[in-house]
Amino acid sequence: MLPLSGARREILVGLDTPDDAAVFMLDEETALVHTLDFFTPIVDDPHLFGQIAAANALSDIYAMGGTPLSAMNIVCFPCSLGMDMLARILEGGLAKICESGAVLLGGHTVDDEEPKYGLAVTGRVHPDRIMTSLGAEVGDLLVLTKPLGTGILATALKGDFITETEMAEAIDGMAALNAQASRAAILAGAHACTDVTGFGLVGHLLNMLPDRGLGCDIFISLLPVYKRTREMAGMGMVPAGAHKNRDFLSSRVEISPQVDDVDRDLVYDPQTSGGLLIALPPQGLEVFGQQMGDEEGWTRIGEFVQGEGPLVRVLP
Amino acid sequence: MAEIVDARGLACPEPVVKTRSALKGGARDIEVLVDNPTARDNVCRFASSQGCEVEVSEEEDIFRIAVTGPASEAGTGADTAAGDAGTRRVIALASDTMGRGDEELGGILIKAFLSTLADSDQPPWRMVFFNSGVKLALEGADTVQSLRNLESIGVEMLVCGTCLDYFGVKEELGVGAVSNMYDILTTMLSATNSITI
Repeated sequence: MLPLSGARREILVGLDTPDDAAVFMLDEETALVHTLDFFTPIVDDPHLFGQIAAANALSDIYAMGGTPLSAMNIVCFPCSLGMDMLARILEGGLAKICESGAVLLGGHTVDDEEPKYGLAVTGRVHPDRIMTSLGAEVGDLLVLTKPLGTGILATALKGDFITETEMAEAIDGMAALNAQASRAAILAGAHACTDVTGFGLVGHLLNMLPDRGLGCDIFISLLPVYKRTREMAGMGMVPAGAHKNRDFLSSRVEISPQVDDVDRDLVYDPQTSGGLLIALPPQGLEVFGQQMGDEEGWTRIGEFVQGEGPLVRVLP
Repeated sequence: MAEIVDARGLACPEPVVKTRSALKGGARDIEVLVDNPTARDNVCRFASSQGCEVEVSEEEDIFRIAVTGPASEAGTGADTAAGDAGTRRVIALASDTMGRGDEELGGILIKAFLSTLADSDQPPWRMVFFNSGVKLALEGADTVQSLRNLESIGVEMLVCGTCLDYFGVKEELGVGAVSNMYDILTTMLSATNSITI
């Protein structure tokens, strides 16, 4: 076990909850949001990889309702791949840092056999306006702001079942910032928020459920899914992470017998730079929609219900 | 004698990739060895999607997956009217017109060709579309209905994704599946008879 963060009053969100980032209060008006994420290339194009890794790291700030202030590069890179490629990765990342309004302050590189890239990001948030993963209430609507399927499509790309051009929609989705979705969630009075990453839709949704009193129903027919995901899952392109998630989570998930095998895998598919998962009071949906404007891919996918313990029901 | 595909110790998608290679190489009786449930499920699902029979046995943490078929040589179209056993006829459409000379005439001819093909009692196994041929499969094209009729009787349509991107029309695809050069090449190489229009 990790030693927990202790009882300092400045620590508003620390190690003891399953949240996306840590929050440290400076004064009554200001708190800092801290997060860090990096990973191995998910696409071959270095610039796109840089964009995706940066958008993924920045997402944790947005999931907490924060605004990114500054970022530091985290890089592992083998010299043999050449400095041009490294420069393209960093340029891709910088483009996303700039888009977020943050500044790049520095970073650190180590020599490693396999490239890895990501960011440590600091953001700010008003201590009274932090969004956390807990806080949803019975009757809240569950909204997801990006389609699902990046784990399955990345596996298919690795196996040459699909090309980067053919998964362009998912690449654009992974490189997209969750900035607008975060703002829309705050303005719509969201009760809770997290982002969907490695534990898949169901795993991150379970983080939104307290020990008792609340469950959530999600509907397969409402899920936004990237093109070709179901086809690739049907051809056996399901990543090991989806199976690990299922093994770990399935005791708290009830899937209707009418849901087919492909969709059963989809709800556990680990996502890279996934969308925000937002608990919205029903009266907030209209404001949320207005704030999202032309942004596509967000959908209401379920609702929070009375429940004994934390249980996600997956319905057709 | 079954061809052994040893995929133990390999992470997804490798076990499926190896199984696919064995099937594409013409093997019809394969035993795939894997050592984790993810690989087992994925290989089973892939083999089933290719029209193969699948049987799994487990011994000492090793899964043996017996893959047989596809039942007929006609691949995934095995259970449909298209492609009699032993015949894999492929029609390749490399242009949105038929023949050289007059473009307008070529457009009339290709439309007639496809509607005649749709009515014929000898549908091909697969059709591949590349270069301006992809335009025949777009929503709104006057050929799309004939192609849909062919697809409904089991003819598989592979439409070149690079070409759709080149013309900027991927969103308009009205029939068939977006495909890649690997699958198009494999289709043409495994054809017993191919006709390029």
